[in-house]
Amino acid sequence: MKQTTLREHARVVVIAWAVLLALMLTSLGSAYLDLGAGNVVAGLVIAFVKSAIVLWLFMRLRKSSATVRIVAATALATLLILLALSGVDYATRTSEPAAFQSPRQAPSFVGGKPATQQTR
Amino acid sequence: MSAIAAPALAAADDAPRTAQLGMWIFLGTEVLFFGGLFVAYAVGRAHWPHGFAVASRHTDVVLGTVNTAVLLTSSAIVAFAVACADHPAQRRWTALALWATAALGVVFLAIKGVEYAHEWSEHLFPLADFALTEPGAELFWVLYFVMTILHSVHLLIGIVGVAAFARATGAGKSWPTPGRVDTMALYWHFVDIVWIVLYPLLYLVERHA
Repeated sequence: MKQTTLREHARVVVIAWAVLLALMLTSLGSAYLDLGAGNVVAGLVIAFVKSAIVLWLFMRLRKSSATVRIVAATALATLLILLALSGVDYATRTSEPAAFQSPRQAPSFVGGKPATQQTR
Repeated sequence: MSAIAAPALAAADDAPRTAQLGMWIFLGTEVLFFGGLFVAYAVGRAHWPHGFAVASRHTDVVLGTVNTAVLLTSSAIVAFAVACADHPAQRRWTALALWATAALGVVFLAIKGVEYAHEWSEHLFPLADFALTEPGAELFWVLYFVMTILHSVHLLIGIVGVAAFARATGAGKSWPTPGRVDTMALYWHFVDIVWIVLYPLLYLVERHA
């Protein structure tokens, strides 16, 4: 009986592992297609599905208590809220170009003139 | 009297579950810890999409993909170890699977080291002699190193922890209970998930161009 349940566990793990690798290769392949904005969407959606498989099957969220599920959901919700609030700030702020760039890189950004390699 | 003793007994029974819950809460804070870096990345990529695309093409996509496969495999193996830990008769398998997990973690770090060496020789470290001139490219590489080094530190902690569990399980020690092995595995899976998200963000930005 116990042996059977272990075999069952192993079967789930192997299937999940195969799906994860297939998704990884799909993600890799999608990066070589010109999908425009679809590239980043595909990358993130596949990453989300892979994470969900790890959470649900490997981290056994499907068998976890309500408390654990609430903790996991709270973490995800807090992350999304903070991402959204930070996004609102940056999306509505005027961009100050090249604030971060080193002086060597700034000209190509402002004037379109290629930056020259300085002596090292 | 019994009213006081009863909850204490219940607490003792729930001890492993409490540890797992504690790990979940810790991982929740870790999500927010990495979340700040993802915000930084999103802002950078939104402002310098071309710079990030150019910079990303200089990452080693082959080694990055191999490393992703290594970590996914290690996660599957540690999940198998947790399943084995539920059965005392499978102790040998538990130890073996935990050793394999730690070993794959070491393989990951070794491959990452090779990548860093290549990147150093190609002047991709964001220092004075940084190779790319595209605006935003240097910011990408700053984030690349901060994120991957932070991830590697987490992985290193995981390797030490999992190896300790493997050693103790193999030696027949009683402290690596199924609940504790599960708690350790939760941490390992989290480190894997961070990499699952990093992989498309760092290695797969517009490879087609």
